[in-house]
Amino acid sequence: MSNKVTRRTVVTAASLGALGLAGAVALRGARIKDDILSASEQLTLRTQRLLLGRRTLAREFSARDVSPVFPVNGTHVPPGAAYQELVASGFRDWTLKVYGLVKHPLSLSLGQIALLESRTQTTMHCCDEGWNAIATWTGVPLSRVLALAEPLTRAAYVVFHCLDRREDGELYYESIDLSDANHPQTILAYRMNERPLPVGNGAPLRLRVETQIGYKNAKYIDRIELVDRLNGLGKGHGGWWEDFDGAVWYAAQ
Amino acid sequence: MGPLPQENAEVIVRHRLPVRLWHWISVLAIVGLLFTGFCILNVHPRLYWGEVGNAYTPALFALDSSDPGGPRPTTHPAPAVLVVGNRRFDVTGRLGVVADAGGDGLYFLIANTPESWQFGAMRAWHFTIAWILVLGWMSYAIYLIASGQLRSRLLPRLSQLRPRAIANDVLNHLRFHRATGEEAKSYNLLQKLSYLLVVFVLLPLMVLTGLTMSNAITARFPELYSLLGGRESARTIHFLCAFALVLFAVIHVIQLFVAGFLNEMRSMITGRFTIRGSRLP
Repeated sequence: MSNKVTRRTVVTAASLGALGLAGAVALRGARIKDDILSASEQLTLRTQRLLLGRRTLAREFSARDVSPVFPVNGTHVPPGAAYQELVASGFRDWTLKVYGLVKHPLSLSLGQIALLESRTQTTMHCCDEGWNAIATWTGVPLSRVLALAEPLTRAAYVVFHCLDRREDGELYYESIDLSDANHPQTILAYRMNERPLPVGNGAPLRLRVETQIGYKNAKYIDRIELVDRLNGLGKGHGGWWEDFDGAVWYAAQ
Repeated sequence: MGPLPQENAEVIVRHRLPVRLWHWISVLAIVGLLFTGFCILNVHPRLYWGEVGNAYTPALFALDSSDPGGPRPTTHPAPAVLVVGNRRFDVTGRLGVVADAGGDGLYFLIANTPESWQFGAMRAWHFTIAWILVLGWMSYAIYLIASGQLRSRLLPRLSQLRPRAIANDVLNHLRFHRATGEEAKSYNLLQKLSYLLVVFVLLPLMVLTGLTMSNAITARFPELYSLLGGRESARTIHFLCAFALVLFAVIHVIQLFVAGFLNEMRSMITGRFTIRGSRLP
């Protein structure tokens, strides 16, 4: 008898719950959808940070593992004459701006960046489409650049504004949190496979964030902005793919 | 309508509430994962073995243009081939659609999925639903062991493992025999083995291969690569397990009809199951 009451209670509770959920979805469907997706993303992020630690290095390979051909994906050449002029001049007039919530805004030329400490790593680039390729990257650890700029305590995210305008007219941008930004393998790469970074792979400077997937590794970086929240940029999801394709912001898979 | 003829029928509780909840949550989750997973495969329908795989490395299975590296086809349907190892099958206009994706080059699609099914969003849903499947599976596995049902219901009894009993069980399946009386009260050997395979082999393998595709996870557990033969092998095993689950689901549904569709469905919804042909005391 008590078993029956329990079952009835459970079934009633479940029905009420389902009814409530259906009502809520009908009232504010899009909002609920975003809430569910961001809840699962937070669950993934928190679980991974809890279980995996923040400083574990992604696998590194040896020089002989480097892929003979590294597919170029996304933008092959940023459109516009301005970028062509930068290429023609060997990026002589290009500078990396670091600004926003920092004590010391920076403007660094490619030569100045190359004089900072460098890290070389042979890693696997994993595209969200399912393919991967291995390459050797040389660049300055992002943590080094951030140390020079000294982020304010309010700063929580590092935003990469890029030179490539997508077909919809929007500039490509991406963002990561300070935890991933200070990861030892997170570098601003200016060399690939022992040569200057090719145009197809993001010249003059690209991000390598080895614990995350392909599209987080922004190419053609122009400016780095430190912010306390992401909803003031673009459509507010923290990146071009996140804004226009519903892609996850924390993309460790 | 007159009274139904008296029949020796007994109603038992076949599935307890936790089992029923887990079953239906998993059904919904697996359908969602198959759908979103198909959309993900669709963007790069090439499966590899080993660590590395991309458009410039050989594939085990691929849907490809029959004219790799040639001029871009501007007509539809463009030539398409299904590549399985060294063999190539022409599937132009049947399995493959080659779409010119502008500056991004060619996309080889199994089907032309609508643009509103954003690829990034499909991935986001895939991971969200995966959480539901994983949390459900963990709760179910704990329940199975703690309640003793793993031993009493799923693990084969010694008597079921005698050669004669095995042969008998296989024969029963081939004859689409419907169990009655006492034998209908417990799972038969092949049934037990297929449930054990799904719960303790296919689903865990699905999750492990999925996790092996995450750079953050493998940074901490690089053993996953050695266990599964590399990142692209893990991706291939992920899809093979998905196909195996589909195969299981098809047989599972056919068996519903063999065993009595309404009775079986009712047992997974209300828990109650009618045993026919049993001798009442």
